[in-house]
Amino acid sequence: MVGAGLAGVRAAGSLRAEGFDGRLTVVSDERELPYDRPPLTKQVVAGTMTGDDIRLAGEAEFGARWIRGTGAVGLDRERRRVRLADGAELPYDGVVLAPGAKAREWPGAGVPDGVVTVRGLADVRRLRAEVAGGADEVVIVGAGFVGVELASSLSGLGVKVTLVEPFGAPLRALGGTVAEVVSEAAGRAGVALRLGVGVRGFAAAAGGRVRAVVLADGAEVSASLVVVAIGMVPATGWLVGSGLALPSGRIHCDERLFARAAGGAGGAGVADPAVVVAGDAAWCEAVRTAEGPVPLEHWSNAAAQGELAGRNLLAGPAAAEPYVHVPSFWTAAFGLRIRSVGLPGTGDREVVEAGSAAEGAVLVAHYRGERLVGAVSVNQGKLLPGYARRLN
Amino acid sequence: MVEIRVDRDVCDGLGQCALVAPEVFALDDDERLVVAPEVPDGLAGKVAAAVRACPVRALVVEGA
Repeated sequence: MVGAGLAGVRAAGSLRAEGFDGRLTVVSDERELPYDRPPLTKQVVAGTMTGDDIRLAGEAEFGARWIRGTGAVGLDRERRRVRLADGAELPYDGVVLAPGAKAREWPGAGVPDGVVTVRGLADVRRLRAEVAGGADEVVIVGAGFVGVELASSLSGLGVKVTLVEPFGAPLRALGGTVAEVVSEAAGRAGVALRLGVGVRGFAAAAGGRVRAVVLADGAEVSASLVVVAIGMVPATGWLVGSGLALPSGRIHCDERLFARAAGGAGGAGVADPAVVVAGDAAWCEAVRTAEGPVPLEHWSNAAAQGELAGRNLLAGPAAAEPYVHVPSFWTAAFGLRIRSVGLPGTGDREVVEAGSAAEGAVLVAHYRGERLVGAVSVNQGKLLPGYARRLN
Repeated sequence: MVEIRVDRDVCDGLGQCALVAPEVFALDDDERLVVAPEVPDGLAGKVAAAVRACPVRALVVEGA
């Protein structure tokens, strides 16, 4: 098992539940025991939950050998070995690849102290320490889910927050109506929004610590701390050389979650019956639009894929089941409860089908031509199961 | 007889269970979880999947 996030933990659990009584080794480059990620940017930043409250599994679980703090650096499928950063080699009959993702770092050079990313528990601890240590003006670059959740949690702590989104609208993957509701709620919470303006870089004080974010128009937004929240990159660099197909850095797997070997001309080849894939790093043929597979970086997908990956690895390709999943996502910020089903970002038009943006409770359906591809709710969650059924 | 217990201190009305097993779980107007008084026959598997789909582990099934 490479990766001890939600997908890895669920895979380990289902292997054992299905009767696997052989040796199980869990490898993670994090020292932390497995923990749940959704509360990190919400309750853990806010201080209403701690690392102990979000634990997914203890070391005693799954009768596994745990290797923590040492990442995998190579996969030799011919000799069936996982190579670790300390030089050790782990032989396997089957391997679950659930390496997850890392926060995307700021692409430019010369990043001063006090510019951070947030992905794991250690990052959140550092963020809280910065705030406790007096960081009272925070600029967040990127208004995706992480950026918006952090803006909400930090402003709730009394921090002055500016949210910068070069591409125009917060949570734009959920469509324009929801973006409008979120923008208004953020404004009411005292968060300053700088939308549609790029970031040129950072200005540092004499000691080397960041003092401002420099926008593309030359304006400076003063900051004692900057969070760069511009997405994630799959943690798959170590699989280059494994012979697996890695489209845009994700691990290509068939609809039963078996990893595909790289084929000719950048395409994908045969599936490896000893390698299954789950979670944020997967590029699964069962999760797709008309154009092809799309990545899903959501809790529910990691949980469901992890479970099936463990089961299918044990069953073998002939008896394995296909992955069937209606994507589902939730977030909460500024008192808004936002949920989605399907792939709203893949539609070409959105229709308000209940409530309205003005009342802060709205159901937006996303269509591609005449076909429903997703739905997003703000405080209208009771309507979503009906949409999920239509997506099935 | 399958009985479903909801830990109301933990349940946040995320509604993931209602997506997996809408025959048994639903949200009300205030996004609070409503559970059917009786689980229809043949839905034990779906209910188990709904329990596993709960991100905050608020559901427990007894007597399955």
